[in-house]
Amino acid sequence: MTADRSFHIPEDRHYQREHHLWAKHDADTGNVRVGIDAIGLESLGELAYVALKDVGTQVARGESIGTLEAAKMTTNIVAPISGTITGRNDAVLENPLIVNTDSYDRGWLVEIEATDWDADAATLVSGAAIPEWVAAAAARFESEAGAD
Amino acid sequence: MAWRFLTAAGVSAHQGLAGDEVLVREVGVGRSPPTLKLYTYRPHCALVGRFQDVDNEIRLSFCEEHDVQVSRRPTGGGAILMGPDQLGVALALRGRGDRHGRPRELMARFSDGLSRALRHFGIDAAFRGKNDLEVAGRKIAGLGIYRDPSGGLLFHASLLVDLDVELMTNVLRSPFEQNTERELRVVARRTTTVREWCRGVVMADVQAKVAESFASSFGVAIEPSRLSSDEENSIETLATEKYRSDEWVSCRGDVRDAAGSASIDTFAGTLDVHVALAGRMLKAVHIRGDFFADDDAIADLEWKLRWHSCEDSGVEATVRAWARTHPGTDISPGAVTEAILSATAAAFAVELPYGCFVSPGGVDT
Repeated sequence: MTADRSFHIPEDRHYQREHHLWAKHDADTGNVRVGIDAIGLESLGELAYVALKDVGTQVARGESIGTLEAAKMTTNIVAPISGTITGRNDAVLENPLIVNTDSYDRGWLVEIEATDWDADAATLVSGAAIPEWVAAAAARFESEAGAD
Repeated sequence: MAWRFLTAAGVSAHQGLAGDEVLVREVGVGRSPPTLKLYTYRPHCALVGRFQDVDNEIRLSFCEEHDVQVSRRPTGGGAILMGPDQLGVALALRGRGDRHGRPRELMARFSDGLSRALRHFGIDAAFRGKNDLEVAGRKIAGLGIYRDPSGGLLFHASLLVDLDVELMTNVLRSPFEQNTERELRVVARRTTTVREWCRGVVMADVQAKVAESFASSFGVAIEPSRLSSDEENSIETLATEKYRSDEWVSCRGDVRDAAGSASIDTFAGTLDVHVALAGRMLKAVHIRGDFFADDDAIADLEWKLRWHSCEDSGVEATVRAWARTHPGTDISPGAVTEAILSATAAAFAVELPYGCFVSPGGVDT
């Protein structure tokens, strides 16, 4: 099921509203998979390079967990939650285009063992709030270049 | 809000890059106003893109022998040579709440300041492709964008006021050819400079027009200013700890570079294709042969394939679309596609390191 017709935004996960990252919590393991959502991907285009911090690195919500280059824009990947990186997607590191073709599944970036998932999840967009957020983000995306 | 306007001349590689990063961070968090910095580097500095392999891109022994400083930019793209005749442009702005705008639109928006400045010198430049400012199909400036975690946005450009092509080809490695007369001709044909169109113009005049044009393009006032002492201290620290460090300059990513070639016989003649890859992205393509085709048509296809996925269907679609706009070329799109895909397959089979100086197209940032 999608929340918006023009951008595929699955409702089975949470979203970082500004950086357009998704976070999917596995209740069994406590781990959270992180990737780029469709709006973020549309804005970046095809990815040329991805660099991710090492497994074992502790990250705080809002800190950089890596860098990517698309066309010639480079941007930091910002942690949507706090915790410890427990996994990196090696396939994406070797072939970033996987993110473009399958951003919600094979194109995940990192796995983080959340320090306090409930607290971080409350800062993310999910469930019934998704459609309104997507509509606003899509409208902004269409209407401006994004800088003051 | 008025922009702060800074100038600098002859900065070191480490100081220049650290300066840009500190600016975008301070502007991003709101401690500094939006800032336009126009500057030149010391003679000379070789700056690789954020994800490039410095050994592949730079002739390090030449740099050491000739006192060319080497460092790594925070922005993407190819390796560049900077010095007194290349104007560095760093525009640091605060992003809006949403961190994503479309790179192409951002590039076009930011490059307008440069285009306006060039018009003052009678040069008609246009934004083309992903990141180039061109004059009659020849590159005059390379553009790049970096988003800092602070929310700051850095627009980075290198404007060729003049260019020592021979020095550049001595410093930057080519994936396709050794340092030959032919290579010099290719680079010279694909690049242009402000002085080629406006002889005798001095850097100070170019700098003044660029500043004026950015202010006009964005509808803001610019006020000559200087760095705060806090910014100066931060730049010193960052230059030493990051941009001068081997850990940063020589860092390697997971995406591997590769190069390959293919030659096929067609009814129209022999077709030779060389490709340079970053992972599964085509970074540069060279197409040569004894078939009949306009040089500009071939150059157009080479540009279209820069930073293009090497997936079969995508390459085929791009080549076919190109062929429709160049009906006078007697080589078939099917043959061109086949040669590119064969060269790509050869690259994956060998994975030799190669070096990719700016592509056959010229100078990137």
